[in-house]
Amino acid sequence: MSFVWGLLYGTGAVILIAGGAVVGVWWERKVSARIQLRLGPQQLGPAGSLQMLADVPKLLFKEDVVPASADRLLFRYAPLAVFAPIAMSLAVIPFWAGWAPLDSAAGVLFFLAVPSISVLGILFSAWGSHNTLATLGGVRAAAQMVSYEVPRALAVLSVVVLGGSLQPSELMDAWRWWWIPVTLLGFGVYFIASIAEMNRGPFDLPEAESELVAGYFADYSGIRWAVFMMAEYGAMIASALFGAALFFGGFMWLPGVAGLAVHIGIAALIITAVMWVKWTFPRLRQDQLMTFCWTVLTPLALVQLVLAVVVALWL
Amino acid sequence: MSAHDLAVASAAALVLAGAAGTALARSATRLVLSLGAFLLGVALCFLALGSPLLAAAQVFVYIGGVLVLVLFALMVVGRGDGESPRVESRHDPGAALVALGLFVVLAIVTPKRPSGIAPPEMVSPLAVADVLLGSGIVAFELAGVLLLAALLAVLVIVKSGGER
Repeated sequence: MSFVWGLLYGTGAVILIAGGAVVGVWWERKVSARIQLRLGPQQLGPAGSLQMLADVPKLLFKEDVVPASADRLLFRYAPLAVFAPIAMSLAVIPFWAGWAPLDSAAGVLFFLAVPSISVLGILFSAWGSHNTLATLGGVRAAAQMVSYEVPRALAVLSVVVLGGSLQPSELMDAWRWWWIPVTLLGFGVYFIASIAEMNRGPFDLPEAESELVAGYFADYSGIRWAVFMMAEYGAMIASALFGAALFFGGFMWLPGVAGLAVHIGIAALIITAVMWVKWTFPRLRQDQLMTFCWTVLTPLALVQLVLAVVVALWL
Repeated sequence: MSAHDLAVASAAALVLAGAAGTALARSATRLVLSLGAFLLGVALCFLALGSPLLAAAQVFVYIGGVLVLVLFALMVVGRGDGESPRVESRHDPGAALVALGLFVVLAIVTPKRPSGIAPPEMVSPLAVADVLLGSGIVAFELAGVLLLAALLAVLVIVKSGGER
């Protein structure tokens, strides 16, 4: 029985990410256009919202090119190894009072741990391509994702300290509105580290198009490239939903379906902010990226952790 | 055969397949892929045996950390000639002998269960913390010191190899 539920959740997660990616790409085009004083897509449907109906079939029917020198097994299946862990991580996000699809006793750790498998997928795709630019991009991505996991986990840990549980539903039961000012610094760290984990601008050095073409997915086309894009948008959706729940209470503000709407609304605001950051700041240099992680973000996360521990002890 | 037995059996099968692949793989990439399958299988075993915390930690530390570092080292080292690093070594027969001996020892000391493994109680993260920071703190810290000593030993061995 639990197997059937797992299958249903899995299908639901893939549909959520695919739908979210379609809406997200359209929204990102609109946001970036606003920032650059353009209009963005506007011909198809209201405000160009049907543009993606034309773009998705284009991706589906493009030729699936595998370079002659590539390791075929790794090259073909690496995109799935990037996408699947991110889809899995959606399972532990609490959407409803006392309920998460997979309400595990170590749910918060699960959310932090499972997406780290996708680093492996990125390295395999980079190596499988047998291409210098892809390898460079893959190594960059791995270094960046492994490093930024540290401040991200520490920031989430401060909320766990306040709530006293790793179980998503228990954590949400313990959630109080005054946690927001206490963990605001932690949210800042989580937000920045999450952008780095998604390899999005200004931390998109792994795919830096002006120097590495597209980094680890330089040789990919059609549907396999789309899977990489879906993984990126999936990571954005998962991080935003999880952050909205842990740092802003998500559904706790209103009962029932209205609460779910508030949760999704907060997540949508976070996603918009992620896009805003991408289209505002220029790309960092590799050394700046690492220095920022280890000398700014990690100490800030530790300060936040100490603050949370003091508040938790004082209560 | 209950659903739980099936879950344990499939996790064990993944462990065995991963271990066999790691031992027999001819290319470094396949080796790392097999090692990843092996580590994931171990995490699934932990999950099936009722410790989600250990499973998540296994994935976080071994797959997300150690395996990525292994792959990283393979990619950075020995790419100059465009060839994959060699995975055969003259120590292979000796290593196989040690592995066989370890297997025999484990097979003797592992307690035998009459039939199947009962689904155990879920171990909560709080219980794990109680043991690690309570009664088991000395062993926990000693394990940390042991790992540090092993790390230093590796550094010393690698360094002396360079000087020879």
